[in-house]
Amino acid sequence: MRPVLRILPRILVQSFSILALSAVLAFGVNALRPDGLPLVQAAPSAVQLPQNGGEIGIKDAALLFVSGRAVFLDARSQYEFEQGHIQGALSLPPRDFAARFPGLKPRLTGKEAVIAYCDGELCQLSIALAEQLRAAGITNVFVLKNGWTLWNAEKLPVAKGPAGQTSQTSQTSQMSQMSPAGQKGKSSGLKALKPDLLKQDGLCTDCAN
Amino acid sequence: MPARLGAADLVLRLVLAGVLLYASADKLLHPQAFAGIVKGYHVLPELLVNAVAVWLPWLELALGLCLVTGLWCEGAAVLSAGLIGTFWILLIVSYFRGIDVDCGCFSSTPAAPGPTETGPAPMLWFIGRDAVLLGLALVAARVRLGLAKEGAQ
Repeated sequence: MRPVLRILPRILVQSFSILALSAVLAFGVNALRPDGLPLVQAAPSAVQLPQNGGEIGIKDAALLFVSGRAVFLDARSQYEFEQGHIQGALSLPPRDFAARFPGLKPRLTGKEAVIAYCDGELCQLSIALAEQLRAAGITNVFVLKNGWTLWNAEKLPVAKGPAGQTSQTSQTSQMSQMSPAGQKGKSSGLKALKPDLLKQDGLCTDCAN
Repeated sequence: MPARLGAADLVLRLVLAGVLLYASADKLLHPQAFAGIVKGYHVLPELLVNAVAVWLPWLELALGLCLVTGLWCEGAAVLSAGLIGTFWILLIVSYFRGIDVDCGCFSSTPAAPGPTETGPAPMLWFIGRDAVLLGLALVAARVRLGLAKEGAQ
């Protein structure tokens, strides 16, 4: 037994050296190589987002909304935002971008997706907003086309009033808001099929953007 | 006797090193795929999966190199046996938990879902293969420690 005891420290020291050396090499190389793994990683979302942005579907957007992985940006006018918006969304009309973006920027970081939406199949506001965001260095920008109408059609959570008060809205009061909001969404969806008419009516003041 | 022991030690070390180096290569190249396999074992918390997936192939590489060069050889032999033994136990535990894991032993690509996927045959094959490797590692460690003990006397 004596010789075993005599070589035991050597085995331990050598084993520890190998463990330490391989760990240093492994994490060092992992940090350097371009396809290195993030060591601390949250559970990945079931939603597979394209790397370069683009459009996002209502189902993906709703799932990211539920899991809190996305922030929604309302590209419509402030007035329309106050009449009703996706719960927790931030108001950022493209024409006010320069003034409002710096204040909102901290709230866009750390999310898997920044989702811009407006209303109507042909609405260009969300696309314009997405371009401005990309130009400002936000890469994970997605457009939820016809977002407000689709959101209401699925009776997903909405809120009313200016931003900042939305967080105080309780779930039950939102439920009661949903049906009128849904009707509004449907009607505006129909209107959106005739954007020229809308412009003439002066209802869609931001459509020219 | 020491000469024959020395020859056995060299052969065993080289074979074990070959197995370890071969095992590390594919995993070193594809850490993402290997992380998926590690996760598939359902033994590590989510937080540790990536770290272990990054570290294990390098540990195998280091062990293989030590066994080839003879540097820190006793430690490497004992660690190799411990590592392979751990894998073996993990495979057996997974088998009884009913988890059909991708072995991830020598390749980071999942085993081809072919006609063999009729039963638990791949798992038993993994376990049997690992048992052979464990035997090899244990004999190598035993021989190596025997030599070291003689040197220490």
